[in-house]
This record gives sequence, structure tokens and C-alpha cells, in this order.
Amino acid sequence: MKKVFNFLRSMRFGIILLLLIAACSVVGSVIPQDRGAAWYAQNYTSIHAYLLMLGLDHVFRGWFFITLLVLLCLNLSLCSILRIRTVVKSGEKAEEKIARLPDAVKLDAEGVSLLKEHLQSLHCRETAFGDATVYSKNGIGRYGTFITHLAILLTVIFGAAALYSPTVIDQSCLPGEALTMEDGTQIEVQSFHIENELGDLDFESVLRVALPDGRVSDWRPVSVNHPLSFGHYKIYQQTYGTAGSVTVRNLSTGGADDFTLTESCFLTSDGVNGVWYEALYPGYLRDEDGGFTLITSTSGSYTDPVYQILLATDGEYTPVLAFPGEDLTVGEMEYAFNDPVEYPGLRIKRTPPLVNALLCASFVLMILGLYITFFLQPVLVKTDPEGYIVGGPKPETMRMELGLLLREHERDKEASSC
Amino acid sequence: MLNIIFFAALVLYFAASVLEFAGVSFKKEKLLKAAWWIFVAGFALHTAYFIARGVKAGRVPLANQFEFSMAFSWGIAALLIMFQKRLHAEWLSVAAMPMAFLVLSYAALKPMEITELMPALKSTWFVFHIGSAMFSYSAFVLAGCAGLRYLLMSRKDKEPDELKLRQMDFMAYRLIALGFLLLTVTILSGAIWAEQAWSSFWTWDPKEVWALITWIIYAVYLHLHLRKNANAKMLAWYVVIAVPVVLFTFAGVNTLMPGLHSYG
Repeated sequence: MKKVFNFLRSMRFGIILLLLIAACSVVGSVIPQDRGAAWYAQNYTSIHAYLLMLGLDHVFRGWFFITLLVLLCLNLSLCSILRIRTVVKSGEKAEEKIARLPDAVKLDAEGVSLLKEHLQSLHCRETAFGDATVYSKNGIGRYGTFITHLAILLTVIFGAAALYSPTVIDQSCLPGEALTMEDGTQIEVQSFHIENELGDLDFESVLRVALPDGRVSDWRPVSVNHPLSFGHYKIYQQTYGTAGSVTVRNLSTGGADDFTLTESCFLTSDGVNGVWYEALYPGYLRDEDGGFTLITSTSGSYTDPVYQILLATDGEYTPVLAFPGEDLTVGEMEYAFNDPVEYPGLRIKRTPPLVNALLCASFVLMILGLYITFFLQPVLVKTDPEGYIVGGPKPETMRMELGLLLREHERDKEASSC
Repeated sequence: MLNIIFFAALVLYFAASVLEFAGVSFKKEKLLKAAWWIFVAGFALHTAYFIARGVKAGRVPLANQFEFSMAFSWGIAALLIMFQKRLHAEWLSVAAMPMAFLVLSYAALKPMEITELMPALKSTWFVFHIGSAMFSYSAFVLAGCAGLRYLLMSRKDKEPDELKLRQMDFMAYRLIALGFLLLTVTILSGAIWAEQAWSSFWTWDPKEVWALITWIIYAVYLHLHLRKNANAKMLAWYVVIAVPVVLFTFAGVNTLMPGLHSYG
């Protein structure tokens, strides 16, 4: 039992898990994920059955990968929790302990004084023990790996919570309209544009959120990289679209209605005569003989929009192109084609409180832990008139630094004697 | 004018690499000195180009494959100069100078025109995320150079200078420690940025996955280095073999695995 426990908390086990996670990640990146069985059957004809059987179409959600992550968490928990006791103990009376140790490197008086000078220039704390002096610095450095491992553990846990706990809805909304969420929260879109005044793409909506408890946000711009956060909601600029806009006027009564058209529809008062709206195109090219070639897509605003419609008169349908600003009359109805309306596709995310904050805190902790581990390494050096010894949890850096210092000193001495 | 500066830097890096190689092969101190100063001159031009392009574009020039490769090469050169100045690691140059040249040559193959920053990249995280990636890749490549030098030296000399070998091993370790910290900053800042832009901290996009793979590979190295019976030669092989993974994460993923990070 103890053997199993020791293996579970060992570095060897941690390394094996990391390598297995890396191997799964390679597979998950080489084989496109979550494409549906038909796609794999078409693209991996001979092996698709094995591929689906092994769950290689969803590696990162597969039981194997999740088990590896759980085991990594276990390994990190055990090594973090058990490490802290050793770390704290190793820091207790470290100076006294090293003062009692014999020198590892013998030096002459000149070497010792050079060493002391160097350690003083590093602003180390000096403690005298008889004829020995202990230089120490960066005591916090011994906690670096503990903090890092703990932070990785927290990142995996809060990361999983942040990935799987939010509810996400994608929804389009026309300017002037509002979306109502299940809990009664209302998201109102005031305006949206694809391009700014300079003609640059910026995809900006102006929104406000009204929560069920009565709190209402200000009107705020939302664009790519700049979501709106209010309550537990975060609203993102996700996609966009351009809709047709037609004003239908009844010539005999004078009544009028505005219609925003996002899909094919029939605008009619009697069910027979009227306008079939088919599509809106961003622009067109005019041939020499007067014909039109329609431009079917654009990434920006529609520069020369064209409405493709069918005029329905007494059961006959005539294809027609209409331009913004034009009117068509069918029977008693007048159809005025307006400038198109740009509208946003929003992503609405509701996250449980604190999850994101805790995840970001564990990110900060991880960077802090790594910085302490690598750049605030503890310094613990004992010198006496005959030599020195480097101690502490990570003596390699200081050993190397002092070794190079003394070697250069030796070289200088040799050069001057020559 | 900008292009002339760029190609002048490229030529100087090439000349420095050739002279450095000749200097090491024939053990000519003068050639090595000349190589060094030519390399520094190339770096000065490279820096001037970097700044001038940034001023002309009105942003930090890290927005596409050309700019990132150019910055990556600049990072290798900057770290090499810094390490040589502070730690007298002259032995690193023979492997690192050609790397700076090769990465800059790769940049030269990419379209060089200055383009408008797309809305998805207009974020305060842009500089943190891409800047730290650039320096982390540079540190990993330099560590690979240190590993290569270790292997060459331990093979060539029958009785190699143990302290020098230890210094090379240690230098590779320090560079990887620096690169690892910066890659962590890259991944974490990228996660926060992804949450701002795409609503999710992590999307398993190929670039994210390969950044994670790179992170794991170097995490394993750092742990192996901690072992009391760590075999320095094996670790030198490890850091050399890890470099293609870094290069794949940098260039291969964008070319072969289109995803959310395919910005050209």
C-alpha cells in the first residue's frame, strides 16, 4: 500500500502522466475533433471504425484523457501537500545546520576573500558562527515549487469549472429589439455597425442588460475583445448579418409597416399579389450590355446592396432586382426598399460567481510560483578561512556561479604570473 | 528603405555565422571577434528595422507570420548578446548565430507588406501574449544551441573541460527556465484573452494544444534536470530534440493545422 502511495506521489508518475497527456494531445490535434461519424467515414475510410471505437474523434472529452487529468490532480495534490512539511522543515535553522557542515571546496585566503566580496555584492544576509560566516538570501525561494504545483492543481480544477459550468447561448438580435433570457434578464440592442466612420471593420453593438432584480446597466459598446459584463452575464460580439428593410404602404388607407427581412418571405395583403423577398446581395457588377452580376459575399458593410425579389401579380411571378430608395407598386400596396440593416450575432454566457476570478487568481499564483522557483532561488553559503560549501534546497545555481567566479580568478592569476 | 535595412541585417547575420564557424573550426581569435562585431552590427540594423516597422505600422510588429518570425530571430539575437555579455558564453554563438540567420531567412520568405491589424488582434493582451511567446521560443532555441554545443564538445574532446560542460548544461537549464516561465505567461495570457474574445479560456485549438505540448515537454525536462542522477548528455540530447517541437508550434501548426490562430 505504501509502495502504491509513494508511486502516486512520485515525480516519475507525474512525468509519465505528463507524457501521456502530451501524446493524447498530439493525437487530438492531428485528427480533427468532433466532426461526426459521417465525416470520419468519408475522410478515414479504412480506419474510421477503429477511430470511432477508440474515441479518437473526441480525445479531449474522452474517458482516457479525463482519467489522466484526474490522476495528475491526485499526483499534484499528494506531492504539494506532502512537500510543504519538508519545505518548512528544511528552512528551520538552515544557517545553523550548514555552519556545522565541512567545506566542500578548499580555498586559499585570497579565494575566500573574493568569495565573500562576491556574496556581499549579492546583498546576502551575513550570520557569524565562530570563524565561519553563513551568507543567505531569498528564503522565499524554497516555497517556489510548492506554490507552482499548487497553482497548477488549482488551474486544472478551476479551469475545468470555467470550461464546463457556464451556460452559453448564441442569438441574433436586430437593433431596437431585446432578447429575454430564461431567468428574465433582458438584453437590449440599441445599434450595431460593421464598419466605423473611417470604413475600418469594428463590429460594434451598443447594448444594455436589465437583470430580474431591477438592476440595469448603462448603454455600453460591445465589440470583438470587448464583451459586456453585468451580473453573472457576459455578452460577446460573436457574428453579424445584414438584413433587408422594406416599408409596405397601403395606398388606399395610407397605413404603413416596416419589415426587417432576414430570410425569404412573401409580403402580401391578399395572399396572391405582392413581393416575394428572396435575398439581399452586398453589391453587383454591371456588364457592357446592361446585365448584372451579383456579388454574393463581403466581409464588410454592403456597398451597393441589391434586393432580389419576385413580383407576384395574379399568380404570375416576375424576377426583379430592386435597389435601396426604389418603390414598387403591386395592386394597392407600395413597397419601398430601404437601406439594409446590420445586426449582431451575440454570444451570451452566464457563469457561476467567482469561477473566473478563482481561475485568474490561480494563473497569477502559477506565474508567481515559477518566478520564485527560477529567479529567487535560495542562497545559502558557508565560508570559513579554509573554503566554502553551498547548501539549501537548490544549490546548483550558486555552485555554478561561484565555480565560474573562482575559475576566472585562477585564470587571471595564471595570466598575471605569466 | 525599410527592406534594405532588413536584408542588410540578414546578410550581416549570414556573414557573422560563416566567420564564427570558420573561427571555431580554425581556432582563429580574430575571426571570432570579427564575427561577433558583425553580428552586433546586424542586430543593430535588425533592431532599427523592428522599431521603424512598428512606427510605420502604428503598432507592435507581431501581427503575422513575417513579423513574428522577424521578432523571433530578433529575440534569439538579443538573448545571445545578453547572455554573452553577462555570462561570457562565447561558445553559444557558433550554434546561435546561424539560428538567428535561419529564422530571419524564414521571415524573408513570407509576405512583408504592413497590414491593418484585424479586430480580433486589437487587444491589450496582444503584446503580452505574443511578446512572451517570441521570447520563450527564442530561449528554447538558444537552449537547444547550448545542448548542441554540449554534445559537440563532449564528442570532440577526449577529456572535455568538465566545468565548461557543466556551464553549458546549466546555461541550457537557465534558458529553459526563462522560456518556460514566458511560455506559461503566453498560455495564461492567451487563455484570458481567449475568454475576452471567444468566450472560452481554452478551445483545444491546434495552436493551444501544441503550446501545451511544448510546455509539457519542457516541464518534463525541468523535472529530469532535478533528479540527482540526471545524465547531462541525455538532457543535452533532450533539449536539441525539443527544438523541432518549438519550431513546429511556431510555424508548422499555422501552416498544417488551420484554426483560430491562423492570422496569416
